[in-house]
Amino acid sequence: MLYYVPSPAAAFQSTKYIFQSVYYGRFLETIHLYTAYAMIMLAFMHMMRGYFVSVHKKPREMMWLVGMIMGFVTLGFGFTGYLLPWTVVSKSATDVGIGMIDALPAQISSFISFLIVGAGGDATELLRFYDLHVVVLPAVLLVLLTAKMFMLETHGIAEPPAASSQKEDGMTLPIFPDVTVYLLGLAAMFGSAMLLISVILPLNLPPEYTPQLAAQYTPQPDWYFLWIYQILKIQIFEGGGLPIALSLVAILFLALFLLPFIDRGNQRRILNRAKFVTIGLILVAELLVLTYWGLITPGQVISTENALLVLAGTAVLVAAVSLGAYSFLRGRGKRGGLAISSTAKRTSFMLRTGAALVVFIAVGSLSIGSSLNGSVSLILNGENQFGFLRLVLSLISLGIMFLGAAFFIYRLELRSGSVKRRIPFFEVGWTTNDAQ
Amino acid sequence: MTPNEKIVALLLLLQAVSAFFLWTLDALGAVSEGKFAVFLAVDLLAFTLTAYVYTHEKWGEATSRVWILAGSLGLMILLFVGLYFP
Repeated sequence: MLYYVPSPAAAFQSTKYIFQSVYYGRFLETIHLYTAYAMIMLAFMHMMRGYFVSVHKKPREMMWLVGMIMGFVTLGFGFTGYLLPWTVVSKSATDVGIGMIDALPAQISSFISFLIVGAGGDATELLRFYDLHVVVLPAVLLVLLTAKMFMLETHGIAEPPAASSQKEDGMTLPIFPDVTVYLLGLAAMFGSAMLLISVILPLNLPPEYTPQLAAQYTPQPDWYFLWIYQILKIQIFEGGGLPIALSLVAILFLALFLLPFIDRGNQRRILNRAKFVTIGLILVAELLVLTYWGLITPGQVISTENALLVLAGTAVLVAAVSLGAYSFLRGRGKRGGLAISSTAKRTSFMLRTGAALVVFIAVGSLSIGSSLNGSVSLILNGENQFGFLRLVLSLISLGIMFLGAAFFIYRLELRSGSVKRRIPFFEVGWTTNDAQ
Repeated sequence: MTPNEKIVALLLLLQAVSAFFLWTLDALGAVSEGKFAVFLAVDLLAFTLTAYVYTHEKWGEATSRVWILAGSLGLMILLFVGLYFP
């Protein structure tokens, strides 16, 4: 902030000055970048760890919501900070991101555009991004952090169920010096790692942004947005399909945000939450696959068939491994004395039901793709009988697969005895032998 | 002195030496940023080990020899890298 000038004419030159002429400038820029990356990575890992060990459950629903908003703010830091050096890499990627806003509904897009681009023009855009990055977002994050710390004081840490059951009565640690020294030690270790990474991989400044240079460059976002970028490159989402792709991403974010109200069961142990843990594993696997795929195919449009094959294949593979592991662990759990009953017959039932569920999920994934394809074709090409018939068939197939998956998940839950609301229709053919 | 107290004493000495090296670097000259980063990393890592021994000692838990040895080895390597950094 002492040397950087947030104007299109001077942003790159001032960044270059920091790199080349300010003592330790390049070092500070490098460590700023890597700690920002680490912040995004650790925030994601923290969220997924919370998802798997059920920290979102009562009474910590609000902590989850606040944490999710903090996650969005962290991504906002990444998005706004990326533009500031005004390099061809950062400006091109940010332009693509801003361009996507136009695909949102008019009221939302005009509001966001007003917020981040202002009256238009590069100068306003850069100044807004700078203000958001150094003033607005830090202030918002500070308020959210205070709120979350207050809630942490009120509810305490969400310990793993096993730990809380073994907790010694009345054992507490003072914030100072015990907890403070422990946290400072962790912070020092993190700082040390960041310093060494900065030494090993020093940052190089890309060329300055000019419209001529940008025309020769394939825009690509930073790694944490690559998965969205890859989704948008799928053929069916090109052009008119962009709002659908953005809606899918928005639904994913919304589902994660509202997780405390979706996953409302009392079970917190990972072993007893096969359904949500498997979904979480599929999500992580898909994000990794999309990120890597986006990295190695810059600017390439991905055919719908390839995308379906890779994404559905990943989902099936992860689901099969996860459900297989659950069947195995539940079998071992009985022998190991854990509170999970199992017999050879029961394991066989779980495996068969799990395998059927995996098949249904796989076909369901293909049906989702086919329905999307049909919808986009109808929107783009107008009404035609073949397209309409294909869409109807895909939707029927999707409905059957959805019901089938629900049926098998219900039977798995029925077997584990964790069903809360009985559905007689799903218990057709269920005998007491099955329940043994 | 207990073994843990001896370890902490050595780590504090190492932190002092590393801080001295940092002090000797000429911040207004064309000094290697890498050298500065490595010595700062030595300081921070030594503090991490000190905090580890302190908290375990205070909580009545045994410190792991593996962690202490691995940390010490890491510190030695970093010191040599720092001294010979271009």
